[in-house]
Amino acid sequence: MGDIFTNLGLGFGVVFQFVQWTPAFLGGISIPIPVNILLCLIGALVGTLVGVLPGIGTIATVAMLLPITFGLPPVGALIMLAGIYYGAQYGGSTTSILVNIPGEAGSVVTALDGFQMAKRGRAGPALAIAAIGSFFAGCVATVLIALLGAPLTRIALAFGPAEYFSLMVLGLIFAVVLAKGSVLKAIAMIVLGLLLSMVGSDIETGASRMAFNIPELADGLGFATLAMGLFGFAEIIRNLDAGGETDRKLVQEKVSGLMPTRRDLKETTPAILRGTVLGSILGILPGGGAVIASFAAYTLEKKVAKDPSKFGHGEIRGVAAPESANNAAAQTSFIPLLTLGIPPNAVMALMVGAMTIHGIVPGPQVMQKQPDLVWGMIASMWVGNLMLLIINLPLVGIWVRLLRVPYRLMFPSIVVFCCIGIYSVNNAPTDVMIAGAFGLVGYWLIKHDFEPAPLLLGMVLGPLMEENLRRALLISRGDWSVFLTRPLSAVLMAIAAALLILAVLPSLRKKRDEVFVESEN
Amino acid sequence: MNATPGHAPVKSIMPNWVRNPQEFVGGIALMAIAVFALWASSDLQGMRGFSFGAGTAPRMFGFLLLGLGALITVVGVVTEGPHLAKYHWRGPFFVTIAILTFAFTIRPMGMIFAAMAAFLIAACGSPETRWKETLIVAVCLTTFCSLLFPYALGLPLQLLPTFMIR
Repeated sequence: MGDIFTNLGLGFGVVFQFVQWTPAFLGGISIPIPVNILLCLIGALVGTLVGVLPGIGTIATVAMLLPITFGLPPVGALIMLAGIYYGAQYGGSTTSILVNIPGEAGSVVTALDGFQMAKRGRAGPALAIAAIGSFFAGCVATVLIALLGAPLTRIALAFGPAEYFSLMVLGLIFAVVLAKGSVLKAIAMIVLGLLLSMVGSDIETGASRMAFNIPELADGLGFATLAMGLFGFAEIIRNLDAGGETDRKLVQEKVSGLMPTRRDLKETTPAILRGTVLGSILGILPGGGAVIASFAAYTLEKKVAKDPSKFGHGEIRGVAAPESANNAAAQTSFIPLLTLGIPPNAVMALMVGAMTIHGIVPGPQVMQKQPDLVWGMIASMWVGNLMLLIINLPLVGIWVRLLRVPYRLMFPSIVVFCCIGIYSVNNAPTDVMIAGAFGLVGYWLIKHDFEPAPLLLGMVLGPLMEENLRRALLISRGDWSVFLTRPLSAVLMAIAAALLILAVLPSLRKKRDEVFVESEN
Repeated sequence: MNATPGHAPVKSIMPNWVRNPQEFVGGIALMAIAVFALWASSDLQGMRGFSFGAGTAPRMFGFLLLGLGALITVVGVVTEGPHLAKYHWRGPFFVTIAILTFAFTIRPMGMIFAAMAAFLIAACGSPETRWKETLIVAVCLTTFCSLLFPYALGLPLQLLPTFMIR
């Protein structure tokens, strides 16, 4: 137990670090500045700002804002990115409550009851309960990460290459099972991602693979480039298709009376608790993360409610539960990343990308070698949640005004911003072109109902998987049965196989689809 | 990489026995990518004894993708599904041109020109664009980005055209 407090203490120490700033114009007087807190605040603000814009999801937001963190020191950059992530999530729920346009998949269910509440002039309590629920869930998740961090890291250190490979296979299978849509297509997308990750030079032999002697491809496809193309540009093109100006009926009434009533609080407390527990569990599992958590929480609330018919007509519990769940999951999904070094979903994959750019290889070693980084990030999550609670409620008015920005002005701005961002990563015009090409690929994928998120996951896990597969087989002298004879690896593989079989069984598939269908009714 | 969205969404091309064109075309495109990847990695070394060569993993995943693509194609034949989605040319076209313009002008012309040009070209992608407000926003955004990236974030971006700096 003592460990946890020491660790959290270290983390908060990092977050509340003051740096002496001695500007020339003050004549040698130095001012202490809490740099990391400021970065967390800026991240949360900017994240909300972009997340609020309709049609831009969490992944797109994080991808777009990645370049602005590259100039910072690693700890600051990761703290800011985490802030951006929560901000984007919170921004997404604001849009779904106020305009019925969920900014991201995780807040689709929030829109069901949230928008109905807003229509009845109860937008204030809906937003407030979303924030309070999220904050509570965030607190619980932070403690959970601190509790699970150290023991899981110890397990991870005992892993050999065979176990790692099996774990990644399990993770990818989970991602497929918990995601929306066809299992087959999701697997195909993962494999496509794995193939794309092979472009560039081979780690061991240095041979150039599928690079066609194009110098820009020699180092492989840039991760940020691909993400911005697949999520940023593709979303823009898709939204242009749909006609950006259609059905953006803003709730015109003034958002007044922010505070929920005593009855609201009493009603939502159990819902928030249930949502938090469900979200925390689903977040740790690789795969869906925040999205599946909010859907599942909503379904659960409907099941346990005495009068389920109220749901969909402005039931406050229908806002509280999914919002708590998605925030809890958003946070606990950091656990596999920080302890095992395996990103459980696309946003975490982006985090890996950011860490690699700063020269950090995520995994159990980070926890040991750079504890300040890991615990600082964990502590900043709690601070970030607190900031969202403090900043967002008073600023709701500004976010509402942002929603009125017409899409015809917004999309060229996003295009330009993304272009500059991609270019600034390597100062390479080719990167911009590659991102543009992937924008078209992403558009085509969306049109054919292929999810781009598993592709990104495959792309990030590709090099790791190949490396561990090679090592495992080298150690076993080419014996493929090593994955089944080592006990831990065998268990992981067995779970993966069982999951895959369950996922294609018709009865379970129906259940899974039921959870997702909720939003369409 | 090479998955150009070139498949024309013409329904009449699809024979009757393709009952789920979306999956069918998607599967075939994946198979095409897989074949391309297999061809592209064919010059790489394969297994050396029991250790992997540079080409082993790409070939493994290439064949896997080929198989999955084939499965999806089969699903496209045996299940009922939606028609091919309609493509619109205007949005993708102008956004792509804007991105290309940015990529080609950023080096010689600097960020201010590239950003302005890309903004105005991208704006053509929507029929709702009104030029007066678009120009104002373009100027504001360019100013904002020229302050944010080189100054606030300290990234080495060249703002002005090369010929003006010399």
